[in-house]
Amino acid sequence: MPGLLLQFAGSLAAVALLVFGAYRLGFVREARLAGEEEARDIAGLAPRGFEPVALALDRDGRGALLRDAAGRIVLLAPHGAHFVVRELDPPARAQAHGGMLSLMCERHTTSLVSLDLGDSAPDWAARISALG
Amino acid sequence: MPHFDPLPYAIPVFVLLVAAEMAWARRARQPDAYEVRDTAVSLAIGLGSTVIGAAGAGAVAAALVWVHSFALLAIGWQWWAWVACFVLDDLAYYWFHRSAHRVRWFWASHVNHHSSQHYNLSTALRQSWTGLVALAFVFRLPLALIGFEPAMILTCGALNLIYQFWIHTEAIGRLPASIEAVMNTPAHHRVHHAVNPRYLDRNYAGTFIVWDRMFGTFQPEVPEEKIRYGIVHQLGTFNIVRAVFHEWLAMAADFAAAPWRHKFAYLWKEPGWSHDGARETSDAIRARWEAKRRANSGEAISP
Repeated sequence: MPGLLLQFAGSLAAVALLVFGAYRLGFVREARLAGEEEARDIAGLAPRGFEPVALALDRDGRGALLRDAAGRIVLLAPHGAHFVVRELDPPARAQAHGGMLSLMCERHTTSLVSLDLGDSAPDWAARISALG
Repeated sequence: MPHFDPLPYAIPVFVLLVAAEMAWARRARQPDAYEVRDTAVSLAIGLGSTVIGAAGAGAVAAALVWVHSFALLAIGWQWWAWVACFVLDDLAYYWFHRSAHRVRWFWASHVNHHSSQHYNLSTALRQSWTGLVALAFVFRLPLALIGFEPAMILTCGALNLIYQFWIHTEAIGRLPASIEAVMNTPAHHRVHHAVNPRYLDRNYAGTFIVWDRMFGTFQPEVPEEKIRYGIVHQLGTFNIVRAVFHEWLAMAADFAAAPWRHKFAYLWKEPGWSHDGARETSDAIRARWEAKRRANSGEAISP
């Protein structure tokens, strides 16, 4: 038993050391979309597929909203160094303030997502609110 | 049952290789190869799996010993028995792993290994916490029934797991064709961790890729296609408990909500199956992608 405890303590120390190493080596980058093509590629992997007819990219590439011909809207939300695709459904709430769109979708993520969409923010907010 | 477990000896090597891969990623300017929170989750799940694995090892050993009491052959400890045991254990692993992707009960246990959107050596350590509950060890019982010694089976299983560590990397491209033809390699296993429709549910091999070639599940890596890793419905959290148990909870919710005649299908059918057809299985995703690809290239779609 002392041997197993020692093994566990050593492994725990190694985990802490590697995580610290990852931090010090700079692996803390926030996800950024390179452009619309990458947003379309990622959205295309959404469950049940997705072929966008309209797209709004955050000015800094920190997310995107895409709409298909059927009116479905998906959000590309940053998650670490990558993005997750979430189809928005009626509980989603969105508000536009100036060019910023604030989005809360409790079913998929408890965090507030803010996107800088410029002039198109009010239109997307209205479309998201209309989902319900 | 005393047996040689090589895993504790391999762990320090794993740690050194993860550190070396991080250094490579830094030098090669691959800033997305690692992400600190993702790495923390992978390593914590790995550490937890060693504790839970040690706690459950007695039950697995007892099952092997019990089945071995009905053994058809007395194989013993000859050198060739080790070779045969390793190869047959790898075949058993192939079928376990295929089931782990095609039967939701086993997928619920295995999914956390695929839950990272990164593909690096730390991802290899995202091992299941619920393998014993899922009864994943039953795939190894036939070896004991044949007559292989339980201790030999456990050692071969551990060696197989150790082999699979180094193939979880983007630092190694394609190896010589003779190796790629027989062995599971980083290129083959990158395909396995991808969510690109072309790659879904392919390359189940542990050590020898020949099983995939033999049973029709082999897919070579296509260099021009960017691989995206993870699961079809990306997890989107760094919460360890959710990473480990999310599919068990989702399966339980589906079981509770389904009409009685469909309840158990949510346990044994493939992930993505639903009684109302509202979701997609990996086969359906691939078929949709294939139809679109053919339509774009003007090919006829076969009936």
